[in-house]
Amino acid sequence: MTTTAPPGSQRRTEPPTAPADGRRAVLRRIRSGNGFVFVLPFLLVFALFMVWPIVQGLWMSFTDSSLALRDTSFVGLDNYTEAFGDPDVWSSLGNTVFFTAISSVPLVLVALAMALLVHSGLAGQWAWRLAFFAPYLLPVTVVTLIWTWLYQPELGLGNQFLDTLGMEPVGWLSDESVAMWSIAALTVWWTVGFNFLLYLAALQSLPTTFDEAAALDGAGAWRRLWSITLPQLRRTTGLVAMLQVLASLKVFDQIYILTKGGPNGSTRPVLEYVYDVGFTGYRLGYASAVSYLFFALIIVVSLVQFRLFRRED
Amino acid sequence: MSSRSPLQGVPAVSDPPHRLSRRRLLRHAMAGTGALLAAGPLSGCASPASASGASALSVWDLFQGGDGMLMDEMIDAVSRGDDGFDVDRTILDWGPSYYTKLAMSAAGGRASDVAAMHLSRLAGYAPGGLVDPFDLDLLAEFGVTEKDFTPAVWSRTRHEGTVYAIPLDVHPFIVFYDRKAAEKAGLLDSSGALAPLGSPEALLEAGRALAKATGTSGIIFGHVTDTAQNWRLFAGLYAQTGAEFTLPDGGPARIDVDAAVRVVTLMTQLFDGKTNPNNLDYNGALAAFTGGRGGMAMLGEWELPTLKESGIDLGAAPFPQVFEKPAVYTDSHSFVLPHQDDPDPERRREAHRYVAAVLKQSLTWASAGHIPAYQPVLSEPGYAKLEPQSSYADAAKVAVLDPPNWFVGAGSNFQNRMCQPLQSALLGNTSPEKAVRQMVREADALLRQPNPVA
Repeated sequence: MTTTAPPGSQRRTEPPTAPADGRRAVLRRIRSGNGFVFVLPFLLVFALFMVWPIVQGLWMSFTDSSLALRDTSFVGLDNYTEAFGDPDVWSSLGNTVFFTAISSVPLVLVALAMALLVHSGLAGQWAWRLAFFAPYLLPVTVVTLIWTWLYQPELGLGNQFLDTLGMEPVGWLSDESVAMWSIAALTVWWTVGFNFLLYLAALQSLPTTFDEAAALDGAGAWRRLWSITLPQLRRTTGLVAMLQVLASLKVFDQIYILTKGGPNGSTRPVLEYVYDVGFTGYRLGYASAVSYLFFALIIVVSLVQFRLFRRED
Repeated sequence: MSSRSPLQGVPAVSDPPHRLSRRRLLRHAMAGTGALLAAGPLSGCASPASASGASALSVWDLFQGGDGMLMDEMIDAVSRGDDGFDVDRTILDWGPSYYTKLAMSAAGGRASDVAAMHLSRLAGYAPGGLVDPFDLDLLAEFGVTEKDFTPAVWSRTRHEGTVYAIPLDVHPFIVFYDRKAAEKAGLLDSSGALAPLGSPEALLEAGRALAKATGTSGIIFGHVTDTAQNWRLFAGLYAQTGAEFTLPDGGPARIDVDAAVRVVTLMTQLFDGKTNPNNLDYNGALAAFTGGRGGMAMLGEWELPTLKESGIDLGAAPFPQVFEKPAVYTDSHSFVLPHQDDPDPERRREAHRYVAAVLKQSLTWASAGHIPAYQPVLSEPGYAKLEPQSSYADAAKVAVLDPPNWFVGAGSNFQNRMCQPLQSALLGNTSPEKAVRQMVREADALLRQPNPVA
């Protein structure tokens, strides 16, 4: 049997009942195909649920496609012209960007602070880890239910707390200038655990040599944090910031459940506008056009981030 | 289920009992799931004849909670006997998504045999052929005719003269009150019912008197972040001014700005944040009223079961007339025949018979607070005994629904967008004039959109 093996192959390591020629041929083909067969199941799913909807959505954005009618016709750029002139598109896009700005910064900074605290060797590490990460495990419906009551104008904990401090009650979800901040606060509480975990893992895998050397040279704790630890975490910060911005741009569910975009449209993110127009208002074509405008924005943001990230390296 | 592990009979030393029991638990759990799965297709059917399955009449509705259980009771009632129905009921979540699903199923041409729909949404369905017309002769054969409904409601079942919906109930926006507080405030007449008010000043005065009587707040109304409450209150009061609010296709909206400003001004005067709170949300308002922190609440009658549980000495009345004309804002749960490409005439006949049969069970429906649209039920002795339902039944005669257009109705963007400026006005963030101007602008913007259902 060994005679059939090509010289210098790894046949020696294989058991005497070696695969037949056909199977070897398949293996060889797979090797030469760079594992295409292994990727195929994923590619099929990816094409079916990602590529196809993207292409179909792009096509729909050029039609007057309606959820309630079967015949659609091509309308060219009409939807895009309408979207550019629609103040609701711009205000909701603005809301999404505003939310991204006010939620991403604390979501990165607070996560970093919490990870540093836990890593600094605080007693009862597991309890801190659990407490910081636990909210992330809650489904959005539970989170919003809890915070609806916290934000209750009359009975809520928020206003009762202000009351004991002798301060005026705040319309957490009813004041147009406050509502988005309330939602950002909820979001930070809810999702900061994930960033915290990324930071903690990064901290725990940092080589301790630099830190020890600096300590021996007499650098204080702040100095070491500032000049050793944070620079070493730069790549993690880049990753966390990028993931966070993309996640914040996708905001929809907690707002939809809490305020439905109110008061007076001040918290309506662009994705809710797409939902309102497309699914409640049946205008799928127009909704597709708006979502492609949003898509363009995300691509721009991603490219900018990518450039910044590369330059840092 | 069947194969028993040999370990079960012979407790081995090496195998602690808790492992055994866990394994048994797992097996039982799996068997249970299997049984549930097997029972699934049958559980929706109510009659013994349900084994046939294929012939079951499919019904879609959005009745959950207490309403859902009453609907179950009614379906049970019409499923008994030799000619009982075999009903396959699908309950979907209330809200905008129900109408998304209903429209999609009708557009696909393979919808359910019967579906529930708010009458205010009909204008988004009938013109585009998403619902099929009822055969009135067939309905008459089963004992239901136009005469059985109030004209105010019946007029809204038609599109271009054809009837597309059969109303099950009328569910108005009304006032509930604490009898003790109302009596102390001197708002009850000699028979113990809420006396007519007749003017905006009288309503404001009633709020003050109630606040005095309860020692806390007078009238409770929850609207913050709600997408319908402000519109319900506004639309009812606006209709009382007798002014026109119509949404002709292509726009502009015909709204009497002066009348609208009068109404919004009254709303802001009433909910001033002192006598009556202006910053409650829906659940907060329910909690405040059931907790005795208010003498009256402006709510939909569907909250009756919740309020009854609170132990308040509860009274109810149609929304009081304070402007020139009696009118009560309302909507109506109706039955429609979602469009089918190729309807089986026999099934269609069954669908008509089903609608008629369920209407006659309306007394059950009324127990949760809804006013039966089918008038013969109102004269049954059982209905008069329902308190406080019978005290607001007259609301159906002066029912006002949303102005018809495709984007209007329960759970629509329109109601949400009308609510936003009203909420701002009530919270004192904007003036009534500005709020009304924004409402007109929003209505015009919606009217300018191309109609996606016709």
